[in-house]
Amino acid sequence: MLQKKICMLGGFAVGKTSLVRRFVQSIFSETYLTTVGVKIDKKSVALPDKTVDLILWDLAGEDDIGSFRVSYVRGATGLVLVVDGTRAATLAVALTLRERVEAEFGAMPFILLINKSDLADRWAISDSEIDELRQRGWQIYLTSALTGEHVDDAFHQLALMVTK
Amino acid sequence: MTSTVDPLNLPQRTASNDTEVDREALARLLIEIARNVDPDYRARFDGVPTADPRMETLRQLLVSREISELSRVTHLLDEPEQLATAVGDVLPSAAARASHAQLGEALAPAVERAVQRSIQKSPRTLTDILYPVFLPAIRKSIGEKIDQTFQSLNETLRHIFTWHGLKWRFEAWRTGASFSEVVLKHSLVYRIEHAFLIHRNSGLLIAHVTADNATSEDPQLISSMLSAIQDFVKDSFNEKEQSGLDTIRFGELRLWSEVGPFATLVSVIRGNPPEGLHEIVRDVLLRIHEESSQALEQFDGDGSQLASVEAQLQTCVELKQEESNEGFPWLVAAVALVLLSLAGGWYFLSWQSAQRWQAYVSRWQAYVSRLEAQPGIIVAEQQVRDGQFYIAGLRDPLAADPQSLLSGTEVDPAQVHSQWQFYESLEPEFVLKRLTASLVPPETVRLSIANDRIVAEGEAPDTWIDRARAAARQLSAGGPEFDISKVRDVSPEVRQAERWQAYVSRLETQPGIIVAEQKIRDGQFYIAGLRDPLGADPQSLLSGTEVDPARVHSQWQFYQSLEPEFVLKRLTASLYPPDTVRLSIVNGRIVAKGEAPDTWIDRARAAARQLSAGGPEFDISMVRDVSPEARSAEHWQYYVSRLEAQPGIIVAQQTARGGHFYISGLRDPLAADPQALLSGTDVDPARVHAQWQFYQSLDPKFVVKRLTASLNPPKSVQLSIVQGRIVAVGEAPAGWINRAQAAAEQLSADGVVLDVSQLSELNLAELNYLREAIQTTDIFFSSGKVVPGPEQTPVLDRLADQIKVFAQNARKSGVTARFMLTGHSDTTGRETANASISAARAETVRALLNKRGVAPELLLVRGAGTFEPLVPENSLAGSSTNRRVSITVNLD
Repeated sequence: MLQKKICMLGGFAVGKTSLVRRFVQSIFSETYLTTVGVKIDKKSVALPDKTVDLILWDLAGEDDIGSFRVSYVRGATGLVLVVDGTRAATLAVALTLRERVEAEFGAMPFILLINKSDLADRWAISDSEIDELRQRGWQIYLTSALTGEHVDDAFHQLALMVTK
Repeated sequence: MTSTVDPLNLPQRTASNDTEVDREALARLLIEIARNVDPDYRARFDGVPTADPRMETLRQLLVSREISELSRVTHLLDEPEQLATAVGDVLPSAAARASHAQLGEALAPAVERAVQRSIQKSPRTLTDILYPVFLPAIRKSIGEKIDQTFQSLNETLRHIFTWHGLKWRFEAWRTGASFSEVVLKHSLVYRIEHAFLIHRNSGLLIAHVTADNATSEDPQLISSMLSAIQDFVKDSFNEKEQSGLDTIRFGELRLWSEVGPFATLVSVIRGNPPEGLHEIVRDVLLRIHEESSQALEQFDGDGSQLASVEAQLQTCVELKQEESNEGFPWLVAAVALVLLSLAGGWYFLSWQSAQRWQAYVSRWQAYVSRLEAQPGIIVAEQQVRDGQFYIAGLRDPLAADPQSLLSGTEVDPAQVHSQWQFYESLEPEFVLKRLTASLVPPETVRLSIANDRIVAEGEAPDTWIDRARAAARQLSAGGPEFDISKVRDVSPEVRQAERWQAYVSRLETQPGIIVAEQKIRDGQFYIAGLRDPLGADPQSLLSGTEVDPARVHSQWQFYQSLEPEFVLKRLTASLYPPDTVRLSIVNGRIVAKGEAPDTWIDRARAAARQLSAGGPEFDISMVRDVSPEARSAEHWQYYVSRLEAQPGIIVAQQTARGGHFYISGLRDPLAADPQALLSGTDVDPARVHAQWQFYQSLDPKFVVKRLTASLNPPKSVQLSIVQGRIVAVGEAPAGWINRAQAAAEQLSADGVVLDVSQLSELNLAELNYLREAIQTTDIFFSSGKVVPGPEQTPVLDRLADQIKVFAQNARKSGVTARFMLTGHSDTTGRETANASISAARAETVRALLNKRGVAPELLLVRGAGTFEPLVPENSLAGSSTNRRVSITVNLD
């Protein structure tokens, strides 16, 4: 049994919870997010030589970075940053959250999900911006909770990164 | 010296890498020594000289560097300070590199001695160091011990006089254990259902063990959520302590968490566990840490290194205490019971009388505290002496009577000796009572206590208010305040003046009344002003105001108010508008609406002109003239517009002249009848003169009607109008489609579209097959015969069936099928005879088919004689083939 603690970070209403809802095993209701500020789900990823259980700590989305409970990230091996592709500001929020986590616990592997790719007509993040981030070697996926596009690929990639 | 090697070069070559030695000097010295080594020299000096200066030089040359290095090291070792500095430099890294076990072994005695020494010298230092470490542990341990003691005490008390209690006391006596131990053993029934070992840093599950029959959700998720909740509590309440949440209780279920350096052990317990269980669980956690401390520290989500932990957790889960069901020793119990009841009886009697007196005294105490709670009573002292009760104090005469309070307490009044002094209590309720008694407030005044102040509210004459004010001043300092500011002065004059003012303001708000002046003098009221005769009567408004009409002197001048409602009243009175007209006020204007004869409109117009300037406007533009001519012209126009809206009717012109109406135009014969449309329009038909020409309307609806009449489409075809186009949809025989196409071409010249593109040819595949079968059938005859031989009967039977099926299917598709029976003859004989014989053969087959159920009207008959032979007739076989009846199928 190989498990890894993964934290999902992102601004308010970027669709973190709905992004994973269809892809994970969950026993806790979403009210945990608003009460305790975290909800825990599990995603099993089968790699060629083993199976990894990603224990996903879905942290309540806050645009107010100050109220972010950084202590929940302790012991995590990887991050999932989630951004709402129709609100450019959420990209900045996700990057700031990542910086805070790195300052506290050091660098760790992460993937960046730009969500709501089904809303192409309201898209607010330019391709050049995404390319620039990709050139830094970041793993970026355009996802959609509606269609489920790329979500499994992204978790598979993250599983590879945290077990390396 | 037999060697040929040059002695000068040897040392130079062999030590070529050594730059420090003066090689030349060394070589010379060696040569010199070699030369001197001879027997004579040896003999002369009788042995080797002890201190040869050359040897010293040689030594200097060879090892001078080593000597100086050696002396530096020796010096270092000899000087304790320098040695200490040197060792101090390497000590930390040396300790780090040393094998842990050996170093620990070596240091342990020294450290133990050092600690011992430190404690002997000053125990305080070590205490200070260990204080923060031990305090939480000690606190927790003491807490648990106290809990344990209380738990045992509680359970002991709970069971001491019960049947179980007796049973257990006996068991304690039998086994030699203490009673409380036995009680705990039986009353604390619990079971550890789950044990989770959780990595402290990441909250990941290291191991999980479940008792038999216990279930839970995914332990990985639970373990993470448990540590999230720990974090949550720690963050939310800013708790810095290491331990975290150690107990969560949910009904029957308890979660105990024991925190270790790297892992937390959470046990889920159902039931009522003894506090001592904490220690057992903690021991398990300790053992796990001892055994696998390195694997725990380096845990990164891979549990394979920690498989052995499960065995330890298993010991935890096996912990439980179940209800025991031993048999009960009845005989011993019975003996014990008899002894106990004898002893108990004696004890009970002596206990009871003491108990009774105790109850009596406690009743007295209840009475005293009741007195103390009474307002206006102050108990100064009380005591119980020789079975008598003594009490002394102060009481307000208005307070409750202490004597009467005695009744109902079951304290014998004869035994009570009381001494009360009267005093005036300053408590607000007593002051209120005294004020009520002395001031006698009128019924309109209410006294009450608000925030410890006494407040008077209501209405009172000025004399009472003066008395109250004096009483307020006399109230003792320290007592409550007496507030009379809320009492209104209601002397009769003031009240009269108030009522008069209410009446005047009522008049001023009346429309049509203008108060010019008013005053009060010597109890009389004077008022003057203007009033409209249509306004309210000032005199009648007096009623209900309580103003005495006899004292009112008014002077009113009449005037015409220009307020719209008064003007409206006057106009209504003078113009008598008919029922069809409604007058109303809109935005300060008077507006008349409806229908009226022109005579009334003229009068209204005149009245509007006469209205005073500055008054409201009178608008009669919305009254319609209703002369009879105008009305009948309107009806006619309505009829004409109705005709114009009719499809298939085109009105070319129409006029109304001399009370008669003329109309002319075109109408489609399929359109509605203009005459019939007259009914219900109130137009007199006798006065209408119409001239209509027939025409064919190109309105799609009419075209569809005509097409339906002329083309007679089969049932499978639907004609409909889609966006102004006529569309034919469905299946039809090719002939019909051709006719429809022709019609479409004709219509297109008139600009009407008939779309036949969605028509498809009737699917005749099956029919075609049948048709083929029918048409290839021939009925053969013998030479000269007009009736077929018996061998043709099956052919006829089959043919009849086929014709019937074909006709039926064709009818379903909206097509009528007809079958032409053509008779033939061979060339033998005369031509006229052959012609008649061929027709006779066809007739015969028709009759035979008819006999087999084919409707005769479907069968046509003709004789072809010899003109349509099947084969050239040059053989006997040929002529027999040609003697036949053939069938062709026609569709229309």
